[in-house]
Amino acid sequence: MSGAEPAIVVAGATKIYRRYARQAHGTLKSALLSRRVSRRGEGGVVALDAVSFTVAPGESLGVIGSNGSGKSTLLKLLANIMRPTRGSVAVRGRLAALLELGAGFHPEISGRDNIEITGLLLGLTKKEIAARFDDVVRFAGVEEFLDAPVKTYSSGMAVRLGFAIAAHSDPDVLLVDEVLAVGDEAFAHRALERFSEFERAGKTLVFVSHDLGLVAQRCRRAIWLDHGRLAADGPAGEVVARYRERVAAEEGERRSAVAGLGGRIGSGVASIEVVRLLDREGRPTARLRSGEAATVEMVVRAPEALSDFVFGVQISTVAGAIVFGTNTALEGFRAERFAGDARVAIEIPALDLAPGVYALDAAVHARGGAPYDYRRDALRFEVTAERAGTGVWSPARRWSFSGGVRWKD
Amino acid sequence: MTFLSPLRRAWAHRALVAALVRRELAARYRASALGFLWSLLNPLLLLLVYATVFRFVFAPRADVRPYALFLFGGVLAWGFVSSSLLDAIETFRSNGPLLRKTTVAPEVFPAAAVLARLVHLVLALPILGAAIVFAAVRGGVAPGAALAEFPIVLALLALTVFGAALAVSALAVHFGDVRDVVANLLTLAFFVTPVLYPTEAVPERWRWLLRANPFASFFSGVHDTLFHFRPVAWSDWLWMAGTAAAALVVGSAVFERLRDSLAEEA
Repeated sequence: MSGAEPAIVVAGATKIYRRYARQAHGTLKSALLSRRVSRRGEGGVVALDAVSFTVAPGESLGVIGSNGSGKSTLLKLLANIMRPTRGSVAVRGRLAALLELGAGFHPEISGRDNIEITGLLLGLTKKEIAARFDDVVRFAGVEEFLDAPVKTYSSGMAVRLGFAIAAHSDPDVLLVDEVLAVGDEAFAHRALERFSEFERAGKTLVFVSHDLGLVAQRCRRAIWLDHGRLAADGPAGEVVARYRERVAAEEGERRSAVAGLGGRIGSGVASIEVVRLLDREGRPTARLRSGEAATVEMVVRAPEALSDFVFGVQISTVAGAIVFGTNTALEGFRAERFAGDARVAIEIPALDLAPGVYALDAAVHARGGAPYDYRRDALRFEVTAERAGTGVWSPARRWSFSGGVRWKD
Repeated sequence: MTFLSPLRRAWAHRALVAALVRRELAARYRASALGFLWSLLNPLLLLLVYATVFRFVFAPRADVRPYALFLFGGVLAWGFVSSSLLDAIETFRSNGPLLRKTTVAPEVFPAAAVLARLVHLVLALPILGAAIVFAAVRGGVAPGAALAEFPIVLALLALTVFGAALAVSALAVHFGDVRDVVANLLTLAFFVTPVLYPTEAVPERWRWLLRANPFASFFSGVHDTLFHFRPVAWSDWLWMAGTAAAALVVGSAVFERLRDSLAEEA
C-alpha cells in the first residue's frame, strides 16, 4: 500500500433514515394509499450530517460520541452495509467489520461450517479459509466443540470464534464496534494484542468505543460525533478531553437542575450546606489536571450543639468503584463540640488521579455510623492528563533506561 | 445490463451461495431421523393422493395415462416454484442479523433460497427416473431423447423463480402482507397452471387465458419432456425464455430499488 492514497475517504456523508423505516409492519394497502414507497422524501431522521474525514493507511482512528450520535451509522456506511443518502464513502482494500461478533452464526450447524460461511461473508476464498482454519480455532479455543452446533456454545465461545475469524481475515481496514465490552478479561487482552499486531503490520483501524480511556490509549487520532455532526477531529487525547469536558458540563447542568434530589439521607441533626472542589488558587472548579493540588471544602451546619460527629468524604469513579475515602474518625480526630456553621476542608497537595470523571460523596454522621446528612454524588469533577495509563491512579513518574535500548523521538 | 446485476452479484459470491445452501440443507435435516428423505416423502405423498383421487374419483383422460407418472414431474416442479417463493419471503427476516452486521451482497439470500429448493427437486429426480423405467417396463410409455431437454426447461424455470424471488423477498421486508398475497396467488395459480391436467384438456377458446399464465409454458415443457417424451414446441421455448427474461428484469428492478433499505429494515 502506498502512503499517499488514503485508506478511507468520507466526503460529505449524510444518512437520512426514511420515515417508512419507522413502521416495522407496513402493509401494502397503506403504502398504496399513501404512495410512500415510490417517493424519496426528505422527511426522516438525520443520523449523519455532512461528515467528512480521511484516514491514512496504517492510522488508527477512534470514534467517540454519546448514544445516538451516529457512530453506528458511520460504521455501517464504512462497512458498505448501507449507502449514504448524500455524499460518498470510499474504503480501499479488503475490509473486515467486527460489528456484532458471531452475528452470522447459524445456531443449528457446526462451528466448522460456521467458520466457513463467516469467512466467505468476510470475502475470503475457500482456500484462504482452509489455510487459516487452525489458527482461528486455536485463537478461539474451540477445538473440542468444532463439530457441535453453535447453539451449544457459550456466548463467550461464540464471541471468541466470531472475533477469531474476523481477526484472521487479513483485512487492510478493520472496523471495530465495542467488541471488547463482551468478552472476559483474558479475551479482551488477546484482542488488544491482535489490534497491536494490525497496527504494526500497517493496517488501518477504526475503533468505536464508549471506553474513552481505551480510545485515548489505542488511537492516535479520534473523531467525535455529536448528533450526526463531526464535532472534533484531532489527536485522540485532545478530542477525548474535549468530549469529557462537554459530558461533564452537561452532567453539571443536569445535576444542578435536579439538585437536592440526588441521594441524600440523614436525620438532619446536622446538614451539609455546600460541597465544593477548589483548585490550587482556591477557586471552585469541576475540572482539574492530574497531579495538581486540590481542596475539598464543605460548609456544615449544626443548629443544636453536638458532641458526637464525624466528617467524611469519598471519591468514586462514575462506574461506582471507590477510589479513596476517609473521615475524621479514621484519621484520629476526637469529637468534642460542633455548633453553628463550620468550614471543613481537606487539602490534597497532588491529586494523582487518572483522567476520567469522578463522583464525590460528603457526609457528616455519628461515630457509630448513623448519618446526620449523607450526600451521595454531591459533585462530579473531571480529571485531565496528557499522559495515558490504565486504572485510577496516575502518580508522578519518570522512566529511565540504560544499556542497549533506544527510542525514536 | 443493470437487470442482470443481482444475478451477476449472486454469481460472484457463488461460493457463499453454495455454503448457504449447504447450511440450509444441513440445518433443516440436522435433528431429523429421516434426513433429506423428507424432501422426497412430501412429493411422494402428494403424488399418492392425486393419483388415487383422480384415478378412482374422476377418470383421467386417455392421453395422460399412466396418470401418476404424468403428475409426478409437474408436482415436483410446482413444489419447487411455490416453496422457493415462500422461502424467499422469509429469507431476509431469518438472515436479518447477517444482513445488518456484515458486508454481504443481499442477493445471495434469495439465490440460496431458490437453489436449496432446486437441490430438493434434483434429489427427487432418481425416484422420477425409477417411475419412468417402471412404466416403460410395464409397456405404458416409451422414453425418448426429449428427456434431455428437461434440464433446459428446469434452468429457465429456475431463472424465472429467481427473478420472482428477488422481488418478493425485497418487498416482504417492507410489507407484512406479501406472504399472504403470494401464498394465495400460488394456490390459485396451481389450478390455472397445467400441473394436474394437460394443456389439451383446456377448451380451445380458453387456451389464450392459459397462455397469459407465465408458468403454463414451463409445465407444458415439463410434461413434454418427462411424460410425452416429445420435443418442446418452439412457441413454448420462446414463452419460457421470454418469461425468464421478464422475471429477471422486473425482479432485479424491484430489488435494486429496495436494496438500500434492506439492511435498515430487515
